[in-house]
Amino acid sequence: MLPRRNPPRRVITLLAVALLLAAGLSACAGDGRTTITFFQFKGEAQEYFRTLAARFEAQNPDVRVVVDNPADPETALRTRLVKNDVPDVMTLNGNGTFGEFASARIFRDLTGDPVLEGVNRSYLDVIATLGRGGPGEVNGVPFAANASGLLYNVDLFEEHGVAVPRTFSELIAAARTFRDAGVTPFYGMLADSWTAQSPLAPLSAQLQPDDFFEQRFRDGTTFARGWASTAAQLARLFEYTQPDPLSKGYEDGTAAFARGESAMLLLGSYAVPQIRFGKPDFTIGSMALPATEDPARTTLVSGVDVVLAASRQGDHPAEVDRFLRFLMRRPVMEEYCRAQVAVPTLEGLSNDDPALAGVSEYIESGRIVGFTDHQFIPAIPLGPLLQSFLISGDERAFLRDLDEDWDKVAARRTWGLGAVIA
Amino acid sequence: MRTVRVNWWLTALLVVLSLTVLIPLYFAVVTAFKTPDQLGGTGFALPDGLHWANFADAWRLTGFPKAALNSAVITVGAVVLTLLTNSMVAYAIARNMDRRFFRGLYLYFVSALFVPFPIIMLPVAKQTAILHLDNRAGLIVLYVVYGLAFNIFVFTAYINSIPRELEEAAAIDGASTWITFWRVIFPLLTPMNATVGILTCLWAWNDFLLPLVILSDPGSATLPLVQYVFQSQFQTNYPVAFASYLMAMAPLFVVYVFSQRWVISGVVRGAVK
Amino acid sequence: MVVPAVLIFFVFHTVPVLQGVFYSFTDSPGYGPFELVGLRNYVALFGDPRVLHAYWFTFLIAGVSTVAVNVVSLTIAVWLNSRIAWRTTLRGIYFVPNILAILIVGYIFNYLFSNSLPALGERLGIGRLSTSLLTDSSTAWLGIVILAVWQAAAFNIIIYIAGLQTVPVDLYEASAIDGASPWRQFRSITFPMIAGFFTINMVLSLKSFLQIFDHIVALTGGGPGTDTESVALLIYKGGFQGGEYGYQSANSVVFFVVIVTLSIVQLRFLQKRETSV
Repeated sequence: MLPRRNPPRRVITLLAVALLLAAGLSACAGDGRTTITFFQFKGEAQEYFRTLAARFEAQNPDVRVVVDNPADPETALRTRLVKNDVPDVMTLNGNGTFGEFASARIFRDLTGDPVLEGVNRSYLDVIATLGRGGPGEVNGVPFAANASGLLYNVDLFEEHGVAVPRTFSELIAAARTFRDAGVTPFYGMLADSWTAQSPLAPLSAQLQPDDFFEQRFRDGTTFARGWASTAAQLARLFEYTQPDPLSKGYEDGTAAFARGESAMLLLGSYAVPQIRFGKPDFTIGSMALPATEDPARTTLVSGVDVVLAASRQGDHPAEVDRFLRFLMRRPVMEEYCRAQVAVPTLEGLSNDDPALAGVSEYIESGRIVGFTDHQFIPAIPLGPLLQSFLISGDERAFLRDLDEDWDKVAARRTWGLGAVIA
Repeated sequence: MRTVRVNWWLTALLVVLSLTVLIPLYFAVVTAFKTPDQLGGTGFALPDGLHWANFADAWRLTGFPKAALNSAVITVGAVVLTLLTNSMVAYAIARNMDRRFFRGLYLYFVSALFVPFPIIMLPVAKQTAILHLDNRAGLIVLYVVYGLAFNIFVFTAYINSIPRELEEAAAIDGASTWITFWRVIFPLLTPMNATVGILTCLWAWNDFLLPLVILSDPGSATLPLVQYVFQSQFQTNYPVAFASYLMAMAPLFVVYVFSQRWVISGVVRGAVK
Repeated sequence: MVVPAVLIFFVFHTVPVLQGVFYSFTDSPGYGPFELVGLRNYVALFGDPRVLHAYWFTFLIAGVSTVAVNVVSLTIAVWLNSRIAWRTTLRGIYFVPNILAILIVGYIFNYLFSNSLPALGERLGIGRLSTSLLTDSSTAWLGIVILAVWQAAAFNIIIYIAGLQTVPVDLYEASAIDGASPWRQFRSITFPMIAGFFTINMVLSLKSFLQIFDHIVALTGGGPGTDTESVALLIYKGGFQGGEYGYQSANSVVFFVVIVTLSIVQLRFLQKRETSV
């Protein structure tokens, strides 16, 4: 095999064409509009927010909105923060990371901004307790709340004569009934490790001592002491999944549930649109997850699913204001909550979606607690720890790892500890 | 004694072994043409008919043309700039190796071979952003700069094998170093340029980590980056995902098929020096 | 013309290294306020099981893959260099994996491991195969190694072929007359003659496998749990996602020292072998 002296002509031609394309690409930039970046974390609502941005652009011909829907949004956002490249407008999940960013003074203070008019106070309190840039600051606008209990297949419950369980043992009994009938009780989606946090939140909220996290931040208690029953019950639930729960993820689970392959799904209301994706008129029931034997002690976990926030040092505050106000208009929120089966945060709006019927009484009567997993410092790999635990079933190791990771991470930093006030 | 007998047993063995390379590719192709309900089983069955809609969906959902263009621009830019600059730097170093300063420089550049990118990943993300280089242009600069370590190493070795008489003759004719390099040396470097060009092209086209941490604007995402985002959002739509993988791999694959011999001999030259 | 190159290189390569060293003494999340914490990050690193596991895992993958890749590619290179038909075409095929993006090939392998292999296992009645290898910590590394070897063998095959072509043919003819077996020929002629290429390949493979990242993102994302996190993935995940920029900078500095030490040891050892064979 003799090497040829020169590259084939074809290759050179291809390269030349590519170079020309490159030149052409750099020629078409800038059209006199102000560009604002809109960082959008919610995969399920991609299309919706894209359409909204396009609609806003149509009404505001002087603004261009670049929508960014990254994979792994929290990492992507932090990467941007490290680069000091904060998006002008963001949707975020109201969780520990949001609190951490707020405390780091990433978000604009919206106190007194007209965009907050009519927003339900209790949701403002929720995001304030996550963390804020300074006393009295409001660093985000709650856009949609969620309800996180569990979802069930109404038809399958009727078919097998199972009533909605009101205590933990009734829930296990229901799971057993389905398993004996050859239906997967709970679909395991551990390939996406965050799905394990969904049942963890209601279980721990009902089973841990009231001031558990305050004590934990003060080193007054341990997970081994306060979370033993939570871990035990979580493991019990996962005894009733399909075999090999680790090879399937969120999308597999929601699709299988829609096909009627599983009776229940340990997820909150946010998963409903994903389930209906292929089957628009599929009936989904929801309930609060009972963790104890006393139905009166059952609470619903609810948090701010989507917070809108603006960059503290954005270059285009006027355009950002316009966009925020556009997003917070009643019809927009109504439409969003209908599409995403979310709980609206504006006073006087409600969502009568049948998939929320089972939990609406909790929302209305205020039997609501926040997500306990939002108390975790994001550097603790909670999802992966849960994943390992639910595969191995080793409770002691799980609680020990939680305590060790918690203490290690806390020892490594001087900021953002205990910023979340339960 | 000197008759060349073809060893057919060995040939057969190599053909069978080459299936390990071909099977995953075959698998990707058949999956890309299936409808979702034809999935399942081992997945090696042929599809019933060619379901071209997958490609149309992937084209639209991943914004394929834009991403392919970004990849092309970054790759071509990186290759062209690398060839023009790295060879020049290597020439200057190679011809001044007798001076301590340049020997030191050579060691300085080549020692960077021991600094894997993950080690500087965090600060580089910060720094490129400060310099407003967290975009396609910045990525091109980074490929050119990070290529220096290896390229200076191979170019210098190659330039050392070029006799100095030519340059001396050019100098007598009154040519400046600059002209000498472009008129005399650079053409002689063609084989090595091919090697460096190929390796840079493969690296820039297929790289994932650098674009992942450097690029901010979704509009400038490269093909691997787009696949990553797509995968996270449509992970269960396998046929469309596979169609999009195929499209992402196709451009370089086509170029390779047409220039296979030349690519391989180019890579070999880099090793033999 | 060298000066600008040095300057640019210094700015984009050396400055980040120094910056990383600086941040490794802070508890910065990469933005906002931070404090200097002295050597605390380094002390914490050595007591952090997640970090220690990542190092162990990276060495495991890199070690196994380096050996496997070199054995596989040297074998195939020797065969491809023998008297076979369709030599060019076969070489062309074996080189294909090298031109494909690891991430994308990884997604294809992911599907093969998660769906096709279990289906095949069920059909053949092999219980071990019927669950995905990637979902079990004890087998997930194998999937990563398979992908790594599949992708990296291509390049090494080509380098070895180049090396084999430098071996004079008459050496083989002479030994064939002496009645040496093929294995004997390989041991006493081929391998010593290409020892230099073996060194290059071993050093380069190890270095690239120590930075393993794309393979893991595509196959396991570091899971189950954090059992398949490599050091590079941990730096990325912890530094950005976990907001522990300073802590992972310290990890990077340690990783740097480890890699340099390893490379030097490896080069010394292999070069000694080259001359002593």
